Amino acid sequence: MVLHISSALTASALHPLLCFCFHNTYPEMENASGLHRQLASMKKNLFDQGYLDEQFYQLEELQDESSPNFVEEVVTLFFRDSSRSMANIDEALQQCPRDFHRLDKFLHRLKGSASSIGAAKMKNECTRLREFCSEENLDGCLRSFQKVKNDHTILRQKLENYLQLLRQVGPVDRASRSGS
Amino acid sequence: MSMEEVEEAREEGSHGSMFEGGVEVRVLVVDDSPVDRRVVEGLLKRSGAMFQVIAVDSGKRAMEVLGLTEGKEAEQPTVDDPKIDIILTDYCMPEMTGYDLLKAVKEQSCQKPIPVIIMSSENEPQRISRCRAIGAEDYLLKPLQTNDVLRLRDYVRPTALSPKTGTKRKIAIEMMSENSGSERRPCLAGLAVA
Repeated sequence: MVLHISSALTASALHPLLCFCFHNTYPEMENASGLHRQLASMKKNLFDQGYLDEQFYQLEELQDESSPNFVEEVVTLFFRDSSRSMANIDEALQQCPRDFHRLDKFLHRLKGSASSIGAAKMKNECTRLREFCSEENLDGCLRSFQKVKNDHTILRQKLENYLQLLRQVGPVDRASRSGS
Repeated sequence: MSMEEVEEAREEGSHGSMFEGGVEVRVLVVDDSPVDRRVVEGLLKRSGAMFQVIAVDSGKRAMEVLGLTEGKEAEQPTVDDPKIDIILTDYCMPEMTGYDLLKAVKEQSCQKPIPVIIMSSENEPQRISRCRAIGAEDYLLKPLQTNDVLRLRDYVRPTALSPKTGTKRKIAIEMMSENSGSERRPCLAGLAVA
């Protein structure tokens, strides 16, 4: 629709009408760009705070029309698998006598999957935990594992929020979203 | 839907995929980590290099797919009827490690055993040498990147690179841009990095 406004009086008289006409489209457009900004901000925070590293970009690059939910799929797999690993680690740390060799196998698995999704904080803390494990330093293991559990909880919450917002943005907008 | 069901459904879809006029490489991915299996599968399918992916969670399952049982040879030599063109296996797995699987594959009596690539998160020279010594074609550090999977085609036997026809889905071919960031790690000791 094209309007030719020939005078200030006409323009001011038409202003309410114009607002009424655009009312249905402007809020949606503003909402969409607001969601984009929110999404970008959440992701930036995850990287700035060290929870994620560039490996997460790799996951996003693997998402396309044939695998439209790839990131969410992999993240879900990660939290399911890592929860199992952490339960095993917990049990191994409580066991008496401790089997540090067995504990290391669980840690290796947890660290590997954290690395695969770009969960940087968890990966780094798992590295420290493995060092304590190799020294058979139980106190060190317990302290470090507590940090791993905290990082896991925080990352899960942040990624759940991120993915929830990502779902709202929708597939068309996701396709045009840049990876950084 | 359980993860196992998801994987099976995906495998069925990949078996039904068509690469019109293209060449298909059948990759057996072996990894006990469901996260890593999915990521590697995603990398292979997204690479544009036309891989058909079969993913299993253990060395034992891999042996079943290959038609091998531990300590025995295949009833039919794989070179005559290769169902798998290349094996990409994790090193650290419970019960049967990637090294054990590598050894079993290379001990086949056929003239050209299937190429085996080892994946590991550990950059241990001794481990790399051990794998190379018994015939591993390459040793890749996890997490894998796009250029790692693109290299896999270099190890596939020329006879395996034949056009496939059939009723399958067309897949858009596009090359992924390389990740910016750290340069790639070394593969086997002594081999130049591509």
